[in-house]
Amino acid sequence: MVTVDLDAMSTMDPAAAAMYKAATDVTDAKSDGDASAEADVEIAVDFANETPEQRRARFERDAMQYVDQLYSAAMRMARNPSDAEDLVQEAYTKAFSAFHQYKPGTNLKAWLYRILTNTYINLYRKRQREPLQSNSDTIEDWQLARAESHTSAGLRSAEAEALDHLPDSDVKSALQSIPEEFRLAVYFADVEGFAYKEISDIMNTPIGTVMSRLHRGRKMLRDLLADYAAERGISAGAEEKAVGAPTSKKQEKRK
Amino acid sequence: MSCQGLGDCDDARMQRIYEYLDGALTREDIAEIKVHLEDCPECTAQYDLECVIRTVVKRSCTEAAPENLKNSILDRIHAMNSVDV
Repeated sequence: MVTVDLDAMSTMDPAAAAMYKAATDVTDAKSDGDASAEADVEIAVDFANETPEQRRARFERDAMQYVDQLYSAAMRMARNPSDAEDLVQEAYTKAFSAFHQYKPGTNLKAWLYRILTNTYINLYRKRQREPLQSNSDTIEDWQLARAESHTSAGLRSAEAEALDHLPDSDVKSALQSIPEEFRLAVYFADVEGFAYKEISDIMNTPIGTVMSRLHRGRKMLRDLLADYAAERGISAGAEEKAVGAPTSKKQEKRK
Repeated sequence: MSCQGLGDCDDARMQRIYEYLDGALTREDIAEIKVHLEDCPECTAQYDLECVIRTVVKRSCTEAAPENLKNSILDRIHAMNSVDV
């Protein structure tokens, strides 16, 4: 069977990633009903007959290692650290209750992310009473307005240099300003290295939707990061300015 | 945009670069893009910029959960288990 190592995948060379993808596609096609056979190869445990105590031990061993990652993801969903903590705790509680439904040998991390995302949608988004979808018209207008401003090829490497020097707080704010469904898709792909199919499962949307969210989300992120860099006056030759904390219009607005 | 090596517009070009980085292309496509990137500074700049963005986002958004979070999750799970038994 193919061992899924998403951490390795995110830093994988594109050629290797494609080979990986081809291999998993084959596995996906015949995965139904194979889960128990695969599990037997990996761990010789009779999952059907394990005691609650054994199941808890297995959950702690296999699922708890993702706490930091799920917390980071929850920080992209919730508005503050306290809500993010609640969200992760709630997601883990749900995951533990449903752990008998998890098929050993399948992608546990993606399974946990799916529960986290569902928990967020059901619990927090309802509470926030925010519209489910962002206003697409506004995004289009904004993108059109921005489309012409970053086309000078000669400035690209300086721009890359500038973005590289942005403080973490700016990058987080930029990501946070992107409408949620785009933000989460970008986060799942670019930070967690999930494949389109996995994001489609996690967000419960078709792959085509995932791809268009990624495309638009990445574009928005790129433009916002460029704005932050310009605002801080960071250029390839002015690195020391990056460390300071100028009070920009954008920062005041965020408070 | 003058370059049409990866698509006939900026959007198509970026989509190819995204898919390339996402590991979503066939080996033939990847080989083709690799060759193109060697010759096209414009696409290479876009590719580099996208790589930098991913690195920067990854660096900025990796946070450690608070110390007490793991313990409170474990406490809750233990409590749930003792109810089950």
